[in-house]
Amino acid sequence: MKQITVISGKGGTGKTTLASSFIKLAKGQVAVDCDVDAANLYILLDPYKKITEKFIGSSKAEVVGNCINCGKCEELCRFDAISDSLTDIKIDKLKCESCGVCEYICPTEAIKLKPEEQGEFYISETAIGPFIHARLNPGAENSGLLVTKIRNIAEDIAYRENKNLIIIDGAPGIGCAIIASLNGVDYAVIVTEPTLSGISDFKKIFEVTKFFNIKSFVCINKFDINLNNTNELEKFCSENNAEVIGKIPYDEKVPENLSNKKIIVDDMSSEAGKEIKRIWEKLEGYLLT
Amino acid sequence: MIISVASGKGGTGKTTVAVALARSINYCQFIDYDVEAPNASLFLKPDIKYIKKVTIRQPYFLTNTDKSFKRCADFCHYNAVASIGDEVVFFSELCHGCGGCILVGPEGAVREKDVEIGEISKGFCPPGINFLMGNLKPGNMRTPTVQNELEKNIEYDNHVIIDCPPGTSCSMVMSVKNSDFCILVTEPTPFGLNDLMISVDVLKNLKIPFGVIVNRFGIGNDEVLNYCKNNNIKIIAKIPNDLNIAKYYSKGLSLIDFDPIWKNKFNDIISEIEKEVLKK
Repeated sequence: MKQITVISGKGGTGKTTLASSFIKLAKGQVAVDCDVDAANLYILLDPYKKITEKFIGSSKAEVVGNCINCGKCEELCRFDAISDSLTDIKIDKLKCESCGVCEYICPTEAIKLKPEEQGEFYISETAIGPFIHARLNPGAENSGLLVTKIRNIAEDIAYRENKNLIIIDGAPGIGCAIIASLNGVDYAVIVTEPTLSGISDFKKIFEVTKFFNIKSFVCINKFDINLNNTNELEKFCSENNAEVIGKIPYDEKVPENLSNKKIIVDDMSSEAGKEIKRIWEKLEGYLLT
Repeated sequence: MIISVASGKGGTGKTTVAVALARSINYCQFIDYDVEAPNASLFLKPDIKYIKKVTIRQPYFLTNTDKSFKRCADFCHYNAVASIGDEVVFFSELCHGCGGCILVGPEGAVREKDVEIGEISKGFCPPGINFLMGNLKPGNMRTPTVQNELEKNIEYDNHVIIDCPPGTSCSMVMSVKNSDFCILVTEPTPFGLNDLMISVDVLKNLKIPFGVIVNRFGIGNDEVLNYCKNNNIKIIAKIPNDLNIAKYYSKGLSLIDFDPIWKNKFNDIISEIEKEVLKK
């Protein structure tokens, strides 16, 4: 079984457009949306939810007992999550990283770490195969834990149902959710665009894939909006042994299909769709070996 | 007054709007809070004058002391420490640097060192933009630590424009939580709408007033407009879908370079926001 993750560094470069197309073209493989705080893949895959489960993330510190305001926890908290007040302490749940130091040090056992529900995840079925996705509560942390959770489920399903591929739609950025969606995969497809922001973010995410020793393929979306920048991206890739697996033209049919909740490779008249199909054919060569 | 520019979906034009705001008022502090993928410096081209490394303290274990580190492994909530007998394995990527293992471990056998996880930089763009950004080192997960460092440098008595990271999770909340007003940038597609709705939830929870800028107006459908209308959400501006704007953007030029009329529009937007904030 192989796993492939679509990522980008910069947001809005076309991750979900590509991932949905790959899922459609791969027919019947397992799909996962690891963008758990702004999940979009479900809009195109139109799943019916089979199972919904609560996601209990990590525990947050809470004052439950008699605080004597000794200040020890405030002094030791490295995340600035505890502040003093006249009567007891205040815990900023957003800053609390669940390390447990305050609970350990409190002389009166006034602080406890309490588990919190931080979202839910869904094990769904679509017309083209199983689909695992999630929704992190707005503002919640631990997106990395939730990503790991749904990826484990996807792996179980893949083994049970004898699938040979898991296709993962990643989130923007380079932080914990992205690292969790890259952990242990066989290949990454990096979608970028020929803008200065696209190039800058591409270099960062490329470094992340190198750091974790993941072979990556590069796909330049809207390559024709700035050919100089496209050349620069290609030059960087050839110097760094990254294969540019495709260059997708700017195509108004992409947002048009998206608005009708259609996957772009189903539109035979779309130039972008045709290129994505060619990219998939090349990728298949790697995925089937 | 602090104005943040956010969006659930990535690539909708947060940086475009934030940079145009800053270039319109010209005297402000600009903070790029998207420490995982910071881009505003490409457009504002600040003269960087100061760089500070952001570090966390991580443990190292003196394993020749014949002591057990089991308590460290048991304590660590991030599974960053594993121990078998007097052997200890440490996973640096998982460590948040809380210092718990020092507290619970054998005395003197767990020590700490500074580990670099990113940096913050300060600079200046004439005539009066104080520029501040954070940058997380690739391979690292300590986004909140870098953002915390930015928070310590907010100029509360200045106008502050904050360019947020995409999404609606903790890193977005960290970026918007101090703001007096938040501008949500979206695009009129089902993805844009979906992520706008989640962002609206976050801001309502935080009780931060907000308005919407619709970017690439003309693509997609009317659902974003209808949603805003039905929920009494103010649409502050519509930026048309124009391939030329995208081409300008690709070269690191701003909306104001594309058409100076936006300077007036954004100045009006800021005045409007200021009035609304002062009313409260």
